[in-house]
Amino acid sequence: MKSGKIEGVIAEFENPAALIDAAEKMRDSEYTRFDCHSPFPIHGMDKAMGEKRSVLGWIVAPVAFLMVLVGFLFEGWTSTIAYPLVISGKPLFSYQAYGAVAFALMVLTSAGTALFGMLALNKLPRFHHPVFYSDRFAKVTDDAFFVSIEAKDAKFDEKETVEFLKSIGGREIELLIADD
Amino acid sequence: MKFDAAAFKLTDLNSVQVRSLGIGVLGLLLTVVGYFTKTEQFFFSYLTAYLFWVSIALGALFLVLLFHLTGTVWGVTLRRILETLMKVLPYMAIFFIPVLLGAHHLYEWSHVDVVAADPILSKKTSYLNITFFAIRTAFYFTVWYLIAAKLYKTSLAMDGGAKPEHIKTLKKVSAPGMIIFALTTTFASFDWIMSLYPHWYSTIFGLYFFSGGLVGTLTLVIVIGLYMNKRGAMDSVITVEHYHDLAKFTFGFIIFWGYMGFSQYLLIWYANIPEETIFYLDRWRGTWPIITMTVVLGHFLIPFVGLLSRNSKRNYTYLKYMSIFILIMHWVDIFWLVIPVLHTSGVRFCIFDFTAMAGIGGIFMWLFWKQLGKHAAVPMGDPKFEESLKHHNP
Amino acid sequence: MSVSVQETAATTVFEEPPLIGGKPTFSSITEKISGIVEGKTKKAWFVLFGLASSLALILFGSIGFLFYEGIGIWGINNPVGWGWAIVNFVFWVGIGHAGTLISAVLFIFRQKWRTSINRFAEAMTLFAVICALVFPGIHVGRVWMAYFMFPIPNQMQMWPNFRSPLLWDVFAVGTYFTVSLMFWYTGLIPDLATLRDRAKARFRKIMFGIFSLGWRGGNKQWKNYELAYLLLAGLSTPLVLSVHSVVSTDFATSVIPGWHSTIFPPYFVAGAIFSGFAMVLTLAIIARKIYGLEHILTIRHFEKMNMVIMVTGMMVGYAYSMEFFIAWYSGNEYETFTFLNRAFGQYAWAYWIMISCNVLIPQLFWFKKIRTNIPAMFIISIFVNIGMWFERFVITVTSLANDFLPSSWDYFSPTIFDISMLVGSFGLFFSLFLLFIRFLPMVSMAEIKGVLPQADPHYYKKHE
Repeated sequence: MKSGKIEGVIAEFENPAALIDAAEKMRDSEYTRFDCHSPFPIHGMDKAMGEKRSVLGWIVAPVAFLMVLVGFLFEGWTSTIAYPLVISGKPLFSYQAYGAVAFALMVLTSAGTALFGMLALNKLPRFHHPVFYSDRFAKVTDDAFFVSIEAKDAKFDEKETVEFLKSIGGREIELLIADD
Repeated sequence: MKFDAAAFKLTDLNSVQVRSLGIGVLGLLLTVVGYFTKTEQFFFSYLTAYLFWVSIALGALFLVLLFHLTGTVWGVTLRRILETLMKVLPYMAIFFIPVLLGAHHLYEWSHVDVVAADPILSKKTSYLNITFFAIRTAFYFTVWYLIAAKLYKTSLAMDGGAKPEHIKTLKKVSAPGMIIFALTTTFASFDWIMSLYPHWYSTIFGLYFFSGGLVGTLTLVIVIGLYMNKRGAMDSVITVEHYHDLAKFTFGFIIFWGYMGFSQYLLIWYANIPEETIFYLDRWRGTWPIITMTVVLGHFLIPFVGLLSRNSKRNYTYLKYMSIFILIMHWVDIFWLVIPVLHTSGVRFCIFDFTAMAGIGGIFMWLFWKQLGKHAAVPMGDPKFEESLKHHNP
Repeated sequence: MSVSVQETAATTVFEEPPLIGGKPTFSSITEKISGIVEGKTKKAWFVLFGLASSLALILFGSIGFLFYEGIGIWGINNPVGWGWAIVNFVFWVGIGHAGTLISAVLFIFRQKWRTSINRFAEAMTLFAVICALVFPGIHVGRVWMAYFMFPIPNQMQMWPNFRSPLLWDVFAVGTYFTVSLMFWYTGLIPDLATLRDRAKARFRKIMFGIFSLGWRGGNKQWKNYELAYLLLAGLSTPLVLSVHSVVSTDFATSVIPGWHSTIFPPYFVAGAIFSGFAMVLTLAIIARKIYGLEHILTIRHFEKMNMVIMVTGMMVGYAYSMEFFIAWYSGNEYETFTFLNRAFGQYAWAYWIMISCNVLIPQLFWFKKIRTNIPAMFIISIFVNIGMWFERFVITVTSLANDFLPSSWDYFSPTIFDISMLVGSFGLFFSLFLLFIRFLPMVSMAEIKGVLPQADPHYYKKHE
């Protein structure tokens, strides 16, 4: 066994159904800093883990509303105050014509917020994480299902946690130890 | 109203039927007074109300066709309600008779002397004349009847156990049915509404009319569903998940309608050709801007914002009021299309606008409830029915 | 699942066959798709890439000459000021639309069959939009003034004209490209992580490691990821409708008969989806053949795409007939003339190519035999591509060549540079596409796994 600080533990589960069952048991236990890893999102996992709905929508919506307004005002400002010029007999403040650009700005900024907001909520990019100490864990992006518990969890105990994972059906339980 | 959850049948519909019929008959009788007192107003009010209800029945026909073509799962449990609305469509042919009789009051192109003096209108006489107008309308209703009857009958036949032939028939009727639906609805909107201004034209008009009607259908289904649920009927077969999806569709088609309306407006505004701008100028005269802005806000912005969030689509009370609001706005939209031809100087509501709505609406709903009570209220034999009940929104 | 009153023999009759053929497991999907990227480069790839990149060089060469000589090297003349450049622009933007439609709109409508095709349809979008952006870029003539198109504060105190549809284009297409790129990248993250975890060589590991951002596949991440994906899909859906609508306003806000028609925005959108699906089909058939993806891209996927092509083709047909009817109904002699002229005038050949390819030929998809026959659909998809290019040609050129003033009527003939740029743009498109299928997973592994029956936790209870 490698020496070094234990930073967490992972246990493998056979299939999505087993992972869901494990997640439910994790939820009902006192562990909080755990996660269920899978190659694809599993339907019903949020409920099984007791996760709340993502807050991302509440970040994107205000940006969207704000940017429509900004778009309209900016277009109005440039064509009436900053650079008034009559073109094809249209009124300077032709709000009818401003929709397309205001909409494009709104979509652009909200999509950016959705992507970068998602990364921020997931604390990504993060290239260094205890789960990567395990070589087996590489299979999580192929066909393996894992539960991980971080050592920072208040209830974490080297022995007890391993036992607990065993009791909920985990196999190939591995302690995550810094190896470099 | 009672619901037999085993046979999926609605019983004790008497009270709602009698009420609908009562409102309908009373409404029609009051409207007839208008014929004698204010003949022109009578016909315009009648046409508005008529178009409102026809557009809803057409929207139901469209949704049934769409469900069959795409093999939609979630909507199967709602399909009988839609089919019943669609089944009322052929009856609306009878209600067209007053429009035909009043064509002279409604449509400028029916005046031979006016047309003869107008070089543009005289070019159109081969299309815009009373005989051909009547023939076309008769044709629309005939094909709508044929499609609706076939779909309804086959769907009923499945109640006793679905056979692969049923599904095949439904698909076979729906595919060409959709094409016929698109063309007939478009030309119906040209004939009935666009030709109110015989000089005006817009290639998108058919889509505009259709999308507005579809919004009406979806919200009416929500209202009917919630009405039945409140009385303890159908709550096992129409769940919050189905309302959620109906609301999503409503939201989507609100945007679709807005898109059509805005495309038409933007292009006409931008090109600024007098023949076309007349339509919007008439709706910007006197007090008409109030109604125009009501349509923009009430038929697009308010429902758009109001149905944006997930919770708004799943809260019954909220959804009920929002749907009723959108239905009213759909009527305002039709009002906005039709009435400016009559009251050019400014908005004028008339009691007959409302009595005609109640009159045709009452009879429409009476026919609906009568038909719905005759058979199972859901297509219980449909192979996707069970799955539809278990449907979940992520 | 044990429920149901009605689970009779009939239920099984109507059950649809599985989406992914063979007996796929999670790891067989990973193996298949990653294998393409990790394996040796096929000879066919080199041949195709050599061909495509030579054509792309022709494009770059022509553009170079255009910068030197000016846009007079094209066949544009006095009434026809908008020639093939705008035709190609609209054509390529249109192609792009299918990608977003598949990835966003079908996602919102929960159409699971999209998972096999969405990744490379999205990639196709990006490359098509790149090709599209080339043309208005070089069409401005003085490219060094191109920054005028952006609202950049400058010493002349000028601002762009926000009332111009051409400026809307800049914003719409620019946004479209950026958002498509973000959407595509979001979808790629889990798959890049797969490639990272499989990579043997250090360089690959580092590159995929960087771009997969340290993805761990934890549900606390999936939760935000899925919502982000849904939001991006929700934003892309109106965006895709708006982009081609804005492109259509380039024509429709004018007063030119044949251009000014209120149905243009939805009509262009339908046409865009139509042409884009045809292009997806063309590419998918080739890629499937070369890389042996028969289990992942099944005949069922193709059948569904063919139905979309048929439906959108009919929408386009609907728009053609509305335009024609209203041209007569309007009683406007210019409108009437324009449409009769399109059908029977000097460009009648182009018009009838358009009608046959877009309206008549796709009707063959009514027959299930043709809908499920790969060579037949391949040929039809090519016809649709041709037809949709001609549609833009007919719209652009016929309305300009015979305008209000008969004395200035003229006939448009392309020059060698018109042709070299069109052909060259195909080269650019295919070069980019080939690079993509060589280096990135062309099918979304995470999403395919998510629609396999064994991805559903209920699957195991049923099979116990």
